[in-house]
Amino acid sequence: MSLKEFHYQIAWRAKGGHPGHHPGLQSGGGFEFQGLVPFTSQPDPRNLAIRAMIADPNQPLLVKSFRQRAAIPVYVLADLSASMSFIGTTVKTALLAEFVAATAWSAWRTGDPFGFYACEGEIRWDLSLPLRLYKGMASDLHNRIIHFQPTAKNANGLLEAASLLGRQRALVFLVSDFHWPMGQMEALLNALIRHDVIPVVIWDSGEYENLPRFGLAELRDPETGQRRRLFLRPSMLDRIRERFLARRIELTQLCAQRGREPFFLVDQFDPDAMTQYFYQS
Amino acid sequence: MSLAFSQPWGLLLGLLAIIPILKSGQPSKAYSSLAMLPEDPISSWMDWGLRLLAGLAALFMAIGIAGPYLREQWIEKIGTGAHIVLLVDRSSSMNENFSGTYLGGSSHESKSSIASKLLADFIDRRPQDLFAVVAFSAAPIYVLPLTQDHQAIRSAVLALGGRGHGITHIAPGLAMALEYFSGQPVTGSRIVLLVSDGAARMEPETADALRQIFQDEQSSLYWIYLRNLKGGKLTEAPKNPNESTTPEYYLHQYFQSLGIPYQAFEADNPKALQEAIAQVERLENRPLVYREKLPRQDLSGRCYAAALVCLMILIAFQTLEVKAWNL
Repeated sequence: MSLKEFHYQIAWRAKGGHPGHHPGLQSGGGFEFQGLVPFTSQPDPRNLAIRAMIADPNQPLLVKSFRQRAAIPVYVLADLSASMSFIGTTVKTALLAEFVAATAWSAWRTGDPFGFYACEGEIRWDLSLPLRLYKGMASDLHNRIIHFQPTAKNANGLLEAASLLGRQRALVFLVSDFHWPMGQMEALLNALIRHDVIPVVIWDSGEYENLPRFGLAELRDPETGQRRRLFLRPSMLDRIRERFLARRIELTQLCAQRGREPFFLVDQFDPDAMTQYFYQS
Repeated sequence: MSLAFSQPWGLLLGLLAIIPILKSGQPSKAYSSLAMLPEDPISSWMDWGLRLLAGLAALFMAIGIAGPYLREQWIEKIGTGAHIVLLVDRSSSMNENFSGTYLGGSSHESKSSIASKLLADFIDRRPQDLFAVVAFSAAPIYVLPLTQDHQAIRSAVLALGGRGHGITHIAPGLAMALEYFSGQPVTGSRIVLLVSDGAARMEPETADALRQIFQDEQSSLYWIYLRNLKGGKLTEAPKNPNESTTPEYYLHQYFQSLGIPYQAFEADNPKALQEAIAQVERLENRPLVYREKLPRQDLSGRCYAAALVCLMILIAFQTLEVKAWNL
């Protein structure tokens, strides 16, 4: 399996002291000029600020201080409730596995620690990974997720996981189909307000675009156990499409208020699109 | 209505109809979230319609298995006529025409053939009446009891138009005709329509017995006397009254003495005969209430038919079912 890799960037400074790839707050060895400090506080003669001392010879010795680039924690919070078992154009869990593996690999390549929380009604610890630097876990994680059959009635474990992410600001990929009530959605985003949340919306075109044109279909909701017979016909398909489009706009607005627009992962995962998402925003 | 079931345990199977109502038979597709799909009244109507239809089909089949039927029942009908016993003379003198000439056994002009044809027409004109037929010559012949089967009566009357034999012996014929009424409910007028061309002497004992029966059965009597031109009239006393030479006069006297509604019509030609019959018809047009028995009616076939209709509709909708999600 070839792992896909994307590049991500953040628009904030990481507080962490671990050197890494992202702009940080700590001063140290770097290239980003922070300011001039007395030589006594950072006694490194390589950084003596000659030009500043010439400009004002009465000053004590000055050195240039630089900001150190930092590592950030990268988390994936995955919804593994039964609705993610949908099989349409693709299998949603396969898409999820592919995305999680790519994220884990990209985090390793960027030099960031990676953590994974698989959430049903509670956190599935057997599938989850604590925050570490992983090199070889990506493909293993992929296998584990792809063979998982989601049956849970809800994804309340996500709220629990949100409280476990730690105080340090992290990059959090929140992966779900987001077929939730808006209130629940808001509660979760509020719980994650400390972090940089990228909602990744896994949809399948078989859910709303690529439907049978005409006929009677009996649909079952794996979470509520409800059944509904649907008489599919062109006007009905239009309404379903409109409904999903409206949902898309609704999700985008809600998430944009909290920092980032959601990333829509429909049918297949394109790492370049993910990279583009980061460098456009 | 008297509805009954031949195998009532079959109705228990009707409880199974709840299964298709609660659960549809179509294999279901797991969808991510039904809440995401827009409400669609047409779909839910179709859903309930199809479920009910499936339930109905099962119910109808269960009822069909239980074998429903309507019990045999009596219905009251109102007829415009009466119970009429045709008492027809089959003596050899009926082979003659009205002028008293013998024309041969297969003639169409004989009194008997004319009388039978006119009587058949009479029967045709009165579809609501009950008829019975007795033929008599030397002895009475039991032909048909009181019945509404006009086809049979008509055939019987027409068959009397053939060649007759023997003498006219009227008393046993009358006795047999009256016997038809015994045991029947009196729901309307009862008539003995005697068609003969003569009479014979009656024993006093027989006469008394007949008088009694006539009164018991409350029957009225019409006598169509097919008189030949030389024969004596009923109303005129013969010149030399003698019961063996002019029995008709005495019979008429006897009938009048019975104390029942009685009328005699003399007919000495076919037209007069027709007239006489028409007159009887007019006299007996009072409404008659009588009861008719309907046999029990099996209804299971209709149940199966209804179930079949339901199933046909279901099959039609089954062809609309989505087999594969992604085409």
